[in-house]
Amino acid sequence: MDSKKDIRILAYESSCDETSTSVVKNGREIESLIVATQIKSHQRFGGVVPEVASRHHIEVISQITKEALAEANATWNDIDAIAVTYGPGLVGALLIGLSAAKAASMATGLPLIGVDHIMGHIMAAQLTDEIIYPALALQVSGGHTEIVLLKDPTHFEIVGDTRDDAAGEAYDKIGRVLGVNYPAGKTIDEWAHQGKDTFNFPRAMMEDDDYDFSFSGLKSAFINTCHHADQIHQELNKYDLAASFQAAVVDVLAHKTIRAIKQYQPKTFIMGGGVAANLGLRDRMEAEIANLPENLTPKVILPSLKLCGDNAAMIGAAAYNLYNEGEFSDLTLNADPSLELPYAAEMLK
Amino acid sequence: MKILSISTATNELSVALNEDERLIVEKNELDERNHSEHLDPIIDEILNKNKLKLKDIDRFAVAIGPGSYTGLRIGVTTVKMFASILNKEVVGVSTLQALAASYSEEDTLVVAGIDARNDNFFAGAYLNENGQPVNVIPDGHYHIDVLLTAINEYLNDHKPKKLLFIGSGFDKQIEQLDTLELPYSFGSAEQNAIHAGLIGKLALNKEPVDPDLLLPNYLRRTQAEVDWHKKTGNPFGPDSNYVEEV
Ligand SMILES: [Zn+2]
Repeated sequence: MDSKKDIRILAYESSCDETSTSVVKNGREIESLIVATQIKSHQRFGGVVPEVASRHHIEVISQITKEALAEANATWNDIDAIAVTYGPGLVGALLIGLSAAKAASMATGLPLIGVDHIMGHIMAAQLTDEIIYPALALQVSGGHTEIVLLKDPTHFEIVGDTRDDAAGEAYDKIGRVLGVNYPAGKTIDEWAHQGKDTFNFPRAMMEDDDYDFSFSGLKSAFINTCHHADQIHQELNKYDLAASFQAAVVDVLAHKTIRAIKQYQPKTFIMGGGVAANLGLRDRMEAEIANLPENLTPKVILPSLKLCGDNAAMIGAAAYNLYNEGEFSDLTLNADPSLELPYAAEMLK
Repeated sequence: MKILSISTATNELSVALNEDERLIVEKNELDERNHSEHLDPIIDEILNKNKLKLKDIDRFAVAIGPGSYTGLRIGVTTVKMFASILNKEVVGVSTLQALAASYSEEDTLVVAGIDARNDNFFAGAYLNENGQPVNVIPDGHYHIDVLLTAINEYLNDHKPKKLLFIGSGFDKQIEQLDTLELPYSFGSAEQNAIHAGLIGKLALNKEPVDPDLLLPNYLRRTQAEVDWHKKTGNPFGPDSNYVEEV
């Protein structure tokens, strides 16, 4: 018999518009993953409406708990801990997963582990391949654009982040101008592949010597270009617009990330978050890293497209690392909608 | 039958343990927006003090609404998971019926309400019959004028002896209430609060429901849905149309 016992974690994620449960074995193996998405609902409103999101979460939460166990062929007796996203995110939405996880912990007597959503996104990589530390992550989503240094499996530090809009937010906003339904990222990515960078939008802060980003100037330049064309009844090529926007985003992300890799010399490079599913960004990062001198080339882990979006498996993966460190939560665990990973000392200057 | 009941419908958190008709213990605390932090530890404390485990509870009961949307969801999610995991019964009780249950005299129209701001109320009216508050004006979201019209109609048709307003926000409507055809009084502070013990008592005579189907009774669509409906003319449709497993 194996001397080391397998650890199975049942995880919850409900921070935005997906309700998800998952059973993850040893932080690496997905035994089940249920994702109930509300996209169709929020498309009616052109973006996520928090109260509507919370109402949908509670409709499915107990049902998808049973489904996660059934799909994993498990009962509660096979589970070692219960994990849940407690922030950042929409507070009402977070509270559904949190209330469910805490109630499940009380009903089963299993320990509870509160997980930072961003740590979860980054740990989606652990479900794909083994992470060697120290590692560096580019975390890009609708709410966050961050470069994160992973000292070990549970100690993460932000070394760069966005001063204004997150990259994913900018995608959704320019998507609205182009008449693309929320969420716009996938369509813009597809259009970008059919167009050319002809508009030369600004690349903000690209040459600054920190690792911070800014996307609001790019967003304004894009919107002004479209409005101006509208006023003079000029039709712009939407594929070229998408390609030009995406080129500006990817240029800045790639440029700053490569500089961070050169400084921190991580053994693994990870991409996480919804925008990590962007094919333009994935291809560019892989190409840039392949061009690095051999002694600076980290192992690259790009999670599968399904694991880039919000899901409970990534929470189960991160929770396993916290489990190993004995970092458990108690029943007073509350939602923290503006939870942030700690900033690296040099960021605080 | 051991019943554990909770209310997170308002800014008062209430948890109680009942054994059939008898209240064993009820804990109440005023904790503005902190139900998530306090609910489970209070349940834990009550169980420990009574040397019980969650699995010893036969039936869970919860204030199902109306009330604060976020608050309702904390309570409903909690009992729904308890019942689902432990294979126990679960019952939702109207927050307004629970309020009305704090008054036991017959022949009194008890109007139970929760202030919904801008002269609106989540309200319903109840009449005591054999110790049970029976709903006579349905729970709903009413402008004060609409509510008073319904009350006047009821007073004309049924001639109850007394009229009582219970819950929150009615003290701001004295000018309006003075136009009613019957003198009225307000509930005491004790009566104006929601008591989980009364929820437990009411839950004893209700049919348990499938925990997966237990949802808050918001009594109101979200503003986003109402606006969308007005703009597009599309029917609201069941919520299941909008959530899919992928
Ligand atoms: Zn996310």
